[in-house]
Amino acid sequence: MSSPPDFDPSVPIGRGLVLRNPVAVASGTFGFGLEAEAMGQIDHLGAIFSKGTTVEPRPGNRPPRIAETSSGMLNSIGLQNPGVELVAREYAPRWADWPVPVLVNVAGASVEEYVRVVSRLDRLPGVAGFELNISCPNIAHGLDFGTEPGAAARCTAAARAATELPLVVKLSPNVTDIAEIGHAVEDAGADAVSAVNTYLGMKISLRRRRPVLPGAGTAGLSGPAIKPMALAAVARLRRVLTIPILGIGGVASAEDALEYLVAGADAVQVGTANFSDPSASRKVLEGCLEFARSQGLGRWSDLRWRGPEEAGTA
Amino acid sequence: MTVAQAEAAALGASELERALDLEAECTRLLALEEDLFEVSFWAPEMARRARPGEFAQIWTGPDHLRRPFSFSRADPERGTVSFYIGAVGRVTRRLRRLREGEPVRLLGPLGRGFSLPQEPGRSLLLAGGLGAAPFPLLADWLLGRGEAVVWLNGARSPAQLYPPELLPPGLAARSQVTEDGSLGRAARVTEALPAELSQFHRVYACGPNPMLAALWERLSSGSAAGRLEVSIEAPMGCGFGTCLGCAVPLPSEGAGYALCCRQGPVFPAGSLDWERLRRQPAHLE
Ligand SMILES: Cc1cc2nc3c(=O)[nH]c(=O)nc-3n(C[C@H](O)[C@H](O)[C@H](O)COP(=O)(O)OP(=O)(O)OC[C@H]3O[C@@H](n4cnc5c(N)ncnc54)[C@H](O)[C@@H]3O)c2cc1C
Ligand SMILES: Cc1cc2nc3c(=O)[nH]c(=O)nc-3n(C[C@H](O)[C@H](O)[C@H](O)COP(=O)(O)O)c2cc1C
Ligand code: FES
Repeated sequence: MSSPPDFDPSVPIGRGLVLRNPVAVASGTFGFGLEAEAMGQIDHLGAIFSKGTTVEPRPGNRPPRIAETSSGMLNSIGLQNPGVELVAREYAPRWADWPVPVLVNVAGASVEEYVRVVSRLDRLPGVAGFELNISCPNIAHGLDFGTEPGAAARCTAAARAATELPLVVKLSPNVTDIAEIGHAVEDAGADAVSAVNTYLGMKISLRRRRPVLPGAGTAGLSGPAIKPMALAAVARLRRVLTIPILGIGGVASAEDALEYLVAGADAVQVGTANFSDPSASRKVLEGCLEFARSQGLGRWSDLRWRGPEEAGTA
Repeated sequence: MTVAQAEAAALGASELERALDLEAECTRLLALEEDLFEVSFWAPEMARRARPGEFAQIWTGPDHLRRPFSFSRADPERGTVSFYIGAVGRVTRRLRRLREGEPVRLLGPLGRGFSLPQEPGRSLLLAGGLGAAPFPLLADWLLGRGEAVVWLNGARSPAQLYPPELLPPGLAARSQVTEDGSLGRAARVTEALPAELSQFHRVYACGPNPMLAALWERLSSGSAAGRLEVSIEAPMGCGFGTCLGCAVPLPSEGAGYALCCRQGPVFPAGSLDWERLRRQPAHLE
């Protein structure tokens, strides 16, 4: 996978962390990387974002947990994970030998829980940084951290105080104005944002006259179905943020990834596509490099749309 | 998951090194009754690697997630793997229309299959409807090891039974029962069990959850309880352990879930929570 002579495929995302290319894999679609390592699918990656990790182990939600929809899927996994202690003892030491930086995706029900996960993993060999999943219910208020600028900022600032490593904040699209939340977390010390997490969705079984998934029946929608909405979110964020943006949502091909770079992303994360095609991210990267070569790009940011010429067309 | 399970998971995923991701051409599609069919693909290396009870994830195009199917046969001499499938929905109907030479993508072998005997003895294979899918391959392996194999297949009607002419030669006994009574006596598999279950060293079962739950109820208190292995289904997003979608409930408080795709699809029956499994919708929607 060679690049054109004067082309620099790397992407800085803050605090000295430079991804060697803009193709990463999204949290919850790649486990802790061990399965893909066994299948020979990690060496090419720009970065790996781990499964959401909490202080205590979590068993996850009762099944069924997933359902296919038109051009996408719904998931209600319930943050099943082995807890931070096991991640620190078993996974981090393995990551230390990998040629790819691993950023741990952090989830919690209170600011304190986010901080405990970050503090436990901070400065462990193998942990390259953190991604805060603020699409989690805040037990103090009931609402997700990611839906209210004040709560999002407090969570970010507290994590910021607990680590010198790169801190990415992953934004929820289930808000009125994602730019407002993005702004709040940038001011609170985020080095970059990821946009977006899953959209709230539901699938109904007409035969059973109820939602297919249990509980309230709502779940997170991902896959090609969300790409146009996620692209709009990235373009909106680009206009108000100065920090890097990792674009997420339905990336399955090089064209998808390049569209995110045009919209304003600095890098992308491949999510649901990893499930159908374990080598999806490799194909995305190869296609992007081929495009850069054929177009004679100097840097990825050459692709970026500079925004509407006239105000008022957002 | 419990910490103990998590630690087991942390030991790695080296079994996935066996999985191949390849494009495979359809070599034969045998149309059976009632939208059932057996389809074969040219995949010589996969045919060498596949073990009874393991599965492959089939992909016909980027507009859907892959679908899991147990290997019904794996023939290293012919270089083919086969699947016994019911056309029940979008992807299976598409597969039903495959022609010779048309390709699909296959990812496999995946999962943990049936345990095989160290020394020959007697095995009972219990299938409900499409649950017969993994058994031709299992029977091949067992017979190859000198095992005496008894095949008991049940379905709603004769058309839904695994075709007798496709059964492997050399079975010690075989019987097929239907609920409508048009073939054999009117019975469910669980009502047609041999009287002397203790004669079997191994009992393998595959079928709808309610059938397996009923079977477990029959066997759990007897001497055959520890000898029952079941192959079960769960909706799968990936098939290799990364989406955590295929959760299967475990019985003890706090034990949480096993992953059907990596810790299964074959489980010792005693390791599962049958109360919860019985209540789970029979199939994905
Ligand atoms: C480990 C494993 C092994 C499997 N092995 C086999 C096998 O060897 N042969 C086989 O035929 N199937 C097997 N299945 C089930 C198979 O994966 C599903 O039938 C398939 O996913 C259906 O896909 P579809 O797109 O055709 O149906 P969808 O469009 O996803 O579903 C359409 C409709 O079919 C119904 N449906 C879905 N699955 C089933 C089912 N199993 N039985 C009846 N109705 C169903 C749904 O409720 C829905 O209403 C296996 C499943 C697992 C988890
Ligand atoms: C099964 C599944 C599990 C996920 N788990 C997490 C998670 O633990 N933490 C998180 O921040 N995002 C999680 N996500 C969201 C993805 O990282 C990503 O933001 C989303 O799926 C959109 O990208 P995609 O369309 O490429 O999948 C999950 C997504 C899926 C499909
Ligand atoms: S199917 Fe994805 S974890 Fe089992």
